Amino acid sequence: MNTPNILTRRSFLGTSAGMAATAAMGCLSSVPIFVQKALAEGTIGRPNGNGRVKKLLFIFLRGANDGLNNIIPHGDSAYGPGIRDSLAIPVDPAETWNRRGPSLFPQAGANGGSFDYPYSIPLGNGFAGIHPSLKYLVPAYNAGEVALIHRVGYPRQSRSHFDSQSYWETGAPRNSNIRDGLLYRAMHESGLSSSNSLTGVSFQSSLPLSLRGSRAAMTNISDPTRYDLLGVPNNVEGNLKMARALDAANAAPFASKANREMLQQQYSNMARTLDIFASLDFSEAGNTFVDDEKTDGKKPYFLFPTTNEKNGAGLGGTGNPGYVVPSSAYGFFNQLKSAALVLNKTDAIVAGTQIDGWDTHSEQGGVLGQHANLLRRVGWSIYALRKYFKAYADKCRWDDLVVVTLSEFGRTTLENADNGTDHAEASVMYAAGGAIKGFRADVLGTVSHSGVFNCGPTDLVPWQTGMNGTLFQSSGRYLQRATDFRSVMGKLIRDHLGATPEQLNRIIPGYADPKEHLFAGGQQAADGVRVTGEPDII
Amino acid sequence: MNLILFFLAALGIPLLSTAQDTAPIIQSFRLVNSHPEIGFSLTPSAQKYRVLLSPILSSTPGSASTEASGTLAGSIWTSSLPVFNNTAFFQVVATQLTEAEVTAGTLLNRIAYGPTPDELPRVRQMGIDAYIEEQLAPEKIEESLDTPPITGPIWRKVTVSGNGSASRLYIYLDGPGDAYLDDLRLVTGNSDPGTGPNLIANGDFEQSLSTNNWQLTPNVTQSARTTDFVHSGEIAFHLASAAGGSSAGDSVVQDIRPALSTSQTYTLSFWYLTQPGKSTLTIRLSGSGVAATTRINGDTESPSPYYAALNSGPIAGATLNTLRAWHLLHAVQSRRQLSEIVRQFLENHFVTQYTKSYDYLDSSGGLPSEIAASEATRLEFKENIRWRDALLNPNCTFSDLLKISAESPAMIIYLDTVNSRGDVNSTTRTNRIANENYGRELCELFTFGVDNGYDQGDIVQISRVWTGWTVELLNTNQVNNPFASRSAQYINPSVTNLTERNRATNLVGAWSFRYRAERHDPRTKWIFYNKAADGSILTSSPKRVPDRFGPPWAGLPYGLQLTNGSTTNGIQDGYRLLTHMANQPFTQEYISVKLCRLLVHEDFHHGYDFTDDITSPEEDLVKACMLAWENPSAHSRKGQINDVLRVILHSKLFRSHLAAAAKVRTPLEFAASTLRAFRARLEDGTYTAITDAPNLADGILNKAGRMRLFDRAEPDGYPEDGAGWISAGTLAERLRFVQSLALAGANLSTTPAVRGTADSVGSGRINPSGLLSLKLGLDAASPEAVTDYLLDLLFYTEGQANLQAVRQVALQFLNTADDGSTSSPFSKLASGSRTYDGRVRGLVALLLSLPRFQEQ
Repeated sequence: MNTPNILTRRSFLGTSAGMAATAAMGCLSSVPIFVQKALAEGTIGRPNGNGRVKKLLFIFLRGANDGLNNIIPHGDSAYGPGIRDSLAIPVDPAETWNRRGPSLFPQAGANGGSFDYPYSIPLGNGFAGIHPSLKYLVPAYNAGEVALIHRVGYPRQSRSHFDSQSYWETGAPRNSNIRDGLLYRAMHESGLSSSNSLTGVSFQSSLPLSLRGSRAAMTNISDPTRYDLLGVPNNVEGNLKMARALDAANAAPFASKANREMLQQQYSNMARTLDIFASLDFSEAGNTFVDDEKTDGKKPYFLFPTTNEKNGAGLGGTGNPGYVVPSSAYGFFNQLKSAALVLNKTDAIVAGTQIDGWDTHSEQGGVLGQHANLLRRVGWSIYALRKYFKAYADKCRWDDLVVVTLSEFGRTTLENADNGTDHAEASVMYAAGGAIKGFRADVLGTVSHSGVFNCGPTDLVPWQTGMNGTLFQSSGRYLQRATDFRSVMGKLIRDHLGATPEQLNRIIPGYADPKEHLFAGGQQAADGVRVTGEPDII
Repeated sequence: MNLILFFLAALGIPLLSTAQDTAPIIQSFRLVNSHPEIGFSLTPSAQKYRVLLSPILSSTPGSASTEASGTLAGSIWTSSLPVFNNTAFFQVVATQLTEAEVTAGTLLNRIAYGPTPDELPRVRQMGIDAYIEEQLAPEKIEESLDTPPITGPIWRKVTVSGNGSASRLYIYLDGPGDAYLDDLRLVTGNSDPGTGPNLIANGDFEQSLSTNNWQLTPNVTQSARTTDFVHSGEIAFHLASAAGGSSAGDSVVQDIRPALSTSQTYTLSFWYLTQPGKSTLTIRLSGSGVAATTRINGDTESPSPYYAALNSGPIAGATLNTLRAWHLLHAVQSRRQLSEIVRQFLENHFVTQYTKSYDYLDSSGGLPSEIAASEATRLEFKENIRWRDALLNPNCTFSDLLKISAESPAMIIYLDTVNSRGDVNSTTRTNRIANENYGRELCELFTFGVDNGYDQGDIVQISRVWTGWTVELLNTNQVNNPFASRSAQYINPSVTNLTERNRATNLVGAWSFRYRAERHDPRTKWIFYNKAADGSILTSSPKRVPDRFGPPWAGLPYGLQLTNGSTTNGIQDGYRLLTHMANQPFTQEYISVKLCRLLVHEDFHHGYDFTDDITSPEEDLVKACMLAWENPSAHSRKGQINDVLRVILHSKLFRSHLAAAAKVRTPLEFAASTLRAFRARLEDGTYTAITDAPNLADGILNKAGRMRLFDRAEPDGYPEDGAGWISAGTLAERLRFVQSLALAGANLSTTPAVRGTADSVGSGRINPSGLLSLKLGLDAASPEAVTDYLLDLLFYTEGQANLQAVRQVALQFLNTADDGSTSSPFSKLASGSRTYDGRVRGLVALLLSLPRFQEQ
């Protein structure tokens, strides 16, 4: 097969919107019949009655997040310095940590430090707390807009970062034959991946596996401010001459080779992205988004901390105690801002990025330190995205969005000799958004829905306390899963993004397989572990 | 009208053999204005397509006798004659490049960082087998890149053009230092044929300095005429700068009389003497007109200063960028290209992370940050030097390379072995739990491959082996002695406070591997044994190689029992394990697959069933590699790297179209091959491309997918597949890089943005006009000759017939003015003129921006 016509004529020139539509129709009509039928299903990427589209923002926590240090089982007597000498987070002696009801937002201390509070922050289910570095999660939690899902994994968990990340990203654990991504397949099922210039987008160093696939090119952008074409000379005429010659040369056919189809798709993708980005402001100067209230009682904070001045209290100086995130997180928040901007301003359905550095084998830290610094990024991300999509909503409102985190596995329950933790099994997932079913309490304070999943003694797969309990359930070393991550992703892709059950079974291969119990729960056939099925999060 | 038939004569992609004709698949046939039009799929490496007519049906390519006349556009052929009166069969026939011709291109793209204008003809001339043998014996290739050039200073000429922004001329250095100058000329026009009147007074310094010509301002008052070094005549000028200059108050100044015109173009030329150091010389007009900025270090491209910095102590201040620059310059320049490719493969396979070493040395090692940075860099450098030296041994084995990695302090720190202990904790009275990180990656990533012959139980056992392996600051004559104590050689022995005296900063030495027996887990390790249902080890039941490996491996037991105890003998646990694992069939398979992916194409997999009746060429090649590993050609040591490489490079698969241009360049390969493509040696010893190596590391390598050499966080190494590198964003960066490189150094305009953006290429430059005039001589004025030369240099394995469409675009580009529409015949442009240069650079930018240039 030839691989002709790599850039559409319009692409670099950006002159005729009409031609883009023609090209898109051309692509769609060349889709085989059986795929076209699939494309007619479901509502992924289709506007609702309100004219808006449901969207997803993902953040992959690469390196394996120590779930036990996110949602902390204080109700389990075995948890504490006995098993985690340097890591354990204490509860506030002045606080009834196991009360039921809304969580507390620890205000900045007297010296102005955002993270002065050195204790676990109690959650509404009377059993669990969150790490104090997650304090900015509290407003979303109390508003009932975040689900905290503990003990998430998949059958026969791999403890290899690379295998396990790829299983999370393909949605097909222990199946190396599936080489394309879960979110890619969701975008492909939308039927829009060849007509929308941006359906799935990531902002990081390279396109993640979750968005890779052979039939359509998703977009990865490491720096959206550098999207332009230089002619020789680099002026209007020179650029136009270059663009025309490139279009003409790219229309030439070539003999088939291993990577040519992929290159062709990504070239067209780049050209289309070039057009769209011309109308978006990704610059630092354009980062003017501020909170609508005075967080910590000081002043409205910038939502995307990308410089010292835009970080928390904005008092300046290195290591400012008023910062809401470490200064090493500015790059990440720039990427997160770009992802938010693209979801809000374009037709993109899925966008995301990643946070590296979770492989805390040594010197993990407790209330402060390495892991705590990573958690601050997570807490502030959810805080900021919620405020951004409430106050600055254009094509996407907070009610239209779900923010979800992924991480390949959890870490050992016991601390190792290096004050760190090693590779283990189940970890946590966060899901946040206006439509998420989180914490709910009635007027009398009775909690009908805690928003905390799998971290309480009365949960569907209850947390068993003690040295022989849940903490050591797998191999005597690890947390075992109570929910399969595919059940979480599946519920979001079907009930939020709008896949049909048939589509979902293609997006997550084997989703309807009764042996997997992904929908209603039960004992998974691969290893006999009992799971909850889909959690009640949306 | 009679019926016209056509047939399909070949299916699939033909492999190469000799220069035999093949028949491409005909995909469409129709009549256009009653002229037959045939669409067909292009054949790889087609030099020529012909359409043949035959009255009889035959399946033998070329058997039809008459060649039909028509025109070819891309993959569509249109007959010049209308429909025929007799029944006829059409056949399309492609003449391909030979296997040897295609393989020459594949070799330069796989065992080298891309073709160069000098290497391409050399390899074609010497032949592929000779080139392979040359590259497999790096010890016989003379290489002196790391040796400082011994030639003395030489005179170099600089020529620039620009407008007459003002009439005041400045000469200055960017800091304290010296420069020697002679024969400054400024003439009207955009070139200096050497004859026009010199607008600079006393430009040859043969007359005394005076206010009528040169004035010295405060920073340069020690400057004077000199007879020490002279370019021509009796006297030159010695610029002695006490501090950096920038304009009127701190430079050598001349007010040119009569005044220059801002609307006029002038050309400045001068000679300078190369000087060691980093000084940058600027000679410019006030304002933004004529300006020349030159680094007067004559050999800015030599890696030798970087090598010297990396080899000396921390005081020399080597940083990670020093190492990256050294590495990149070797990639571009080394004659031992295969050795460089393999070393990069090893660096990436046995990945370690500079930042982790830095953090360790900074926090646990007690080093101030600058010294920690330099020492962490040197840990990376040393393992690379050890691999490089190991590869100079023609019988080098994988086991040798694995041991270098295991002993490297960078690895010991990276995967947390450095603090891992298995001795008895006096409080709990149980053995400490060893860190599993290195044990796991040793199995998964460095030897066997994931889930290939080991399980979690083996990892726990293996983790106990890697206890006691730490790093320490050892005396320089003890760096190869893992039992040595911390250095006790003091920089300042007079310090009396013991803590101060023993600080890392007061000790002479180098951070090295140190074995601490007291931390070792002395218990017996049972590695690769089967387990009972309760998890206990069945010591009489070693694991056996699975059936899928077939003979000679299937069924062999590979359990290993290690009982080296608690003394310094415990170090042997590690060495015995490495030796044992290095030649197991799992390792042979995993490493062979990775090498095939590196050199042939991406589509090799782990876990083939080698006993299958029907096997793919890929599977066969992996097995051939494993057999070469198992049966060494020389001596008795298994796993000789050259044996395996030879099998791959001589395989039918490597020499076929399935390998040619089938891979995507990594950012490193992309940057190095771009510069190499334009790097020809000129008669004066300089080159037509200049590599700004530190800028490449920070620039294109980082931006096009974060290829942070020596500093990858994840232990799986950078990907070898194209999909891992190519996305809209990384392509945008790649295009910006090649376009910036083509712009940089162009003399198009005085506006920097129009000339180029330095943020993408730094001081990197290519001089395509110079290359063309060197290689084509008088033909450099012919648009066809220029286009064909560049297409051959960059894409020749595509075949001339397949490049036809791009060739037409290129010719059109060359014959069109910068406005994109006015006709402007290239042959009318003066070779070397500003317009000529701009036109050529535009074409280069265009060709380098094509998808084909992403491939190798």
